[in-house]
Amino acid sequence: MKRDSDERGCGFLDNQTLLDYAAGNLEARRADLVREHSRTCSSCEALMVEQAAMWVELDCWVPEPVSDGFNRALWQRITDSETAPWYRRLLESMRSGGWRPAVSLAAGVAFVAVGFVFDHSVERTASPVASAVASGWGMTAVEADQVESSLEDIQLLRLIE
Amino acid sequence: MFELIDGRMIAFAGVGSAGIGGEADLDASLMLRVRDGDEECFRLLLNKHRIPVVNFLYRMVQDRAVAEELGQEVFLRIYRSRGSYEVSAKFTTWMFRIATHVALNNLRDNRPERAGRRVDEDAEGRARELPDRVPSTEQRMIERARLQQVRDAIGRLPEKQRAAVLMHKYEEMEYSQIAGVLECSESAVKSMLFRAYETLRARLSHMAMAGGAR
Ligand SMILES: [Zn+2]
Repeated sequence: MKRDSDERGCGFLDNQTLLDYAAGNLEARRADLVREHSRTCSSCEALMVEQAAMWVELDCWVPEPVSDGFNRALWQRITDSETAPWYRRLLESMRSGGWRPAVSLAAGVAFVAVGFVFDHSVERTASPVASAVASGWGMTAVEADQVESSLEDIQLLRLIE
Repeated sequence: MFELIDGRMIAFAGVGSAGIGGEADLDASLMLRVRDGDEECFRLLLNKHRIPVVNFLYRMVQDRAVAEELGQEVFLRIYRSRGSYEVSAKFTTWMFRIATHVALNNLRDNRPERAGRRVDEDAEGRARELPDRVPSTEQRMIERARLQQVRDAIGRLPEKQRAAVLMHKYEEMEYSQIAGVLECSESAVKSMLFRAYETLRARLSHMAMAGGAR
């Protein structure tokens, strides 16, 4: 159980042992070794006490229950999204592709843009980025913002990848 | 392999190499049924995972209303992805990956207004109370201060470290699964967690000492 980074303790406890011990994830035989060692080593004992105390402190944070209307609101959003125009659903499916965008950024944007050009005319535009896109392709402010938001999402997905 | 859920026989899906040791994943089987048009299976998944997902999001963004909205976004994305769903990882790994993405996205979008903001003292979340005692006003104040410091200590962790700690501590996820969610190696997750817990130990050590007198 040689330590790999922490300067605390005598070097007997490694980080993972310390963490797994506090979390109760250490197998019984190794936990016994740790306990046995801490009885004779005050610096490791101090570290273990501190770790255990931190672990218990974190337990004090209990979230409020999820509100009753959660499922209802979700089904409403699902219904709304299912009845949305095809290009919005495409945008959303690009956003919901998780970490695995099925289409490339360029192809996706071009495809969506074609949909807008066929279906919509310019009303007004919002943000500078959105307006630049919108004025070229003829879409509403809300739709332009959706495009911008989706592009940001996809960029973030790529970062996470 | 089958299991009876709400009176329905559900076959387990085997998880491929991206999952944990090829173990059977009942949730993935349910999701495959959702893909095939079975909405009832989506309801089962929703009811099973709604609380851990919303709690994770809440602890990430520290705002209950926002967390619920983001939680709906997560399940909406899952539902919308049903048509192309394939079992390539454990279902919960996939779900928490979406939840983490949604949370990071929200934190990024709201960074300017969150910067320098201390977590609101009257914000939601409650300190755990022991069921066999009625706390005095003073005890309530102490518990509230403890809760506030824990929230603050976690809230000041870098976002990825925070996500890793929340999954490890509160969702009791294994290192390998957290690695799957954050798409990094298991050793990267471990060193992320060691750093985060070391920070938390330092930030909360004075509370632990005060707690010794409780
Ligand atoms: Zn020692």
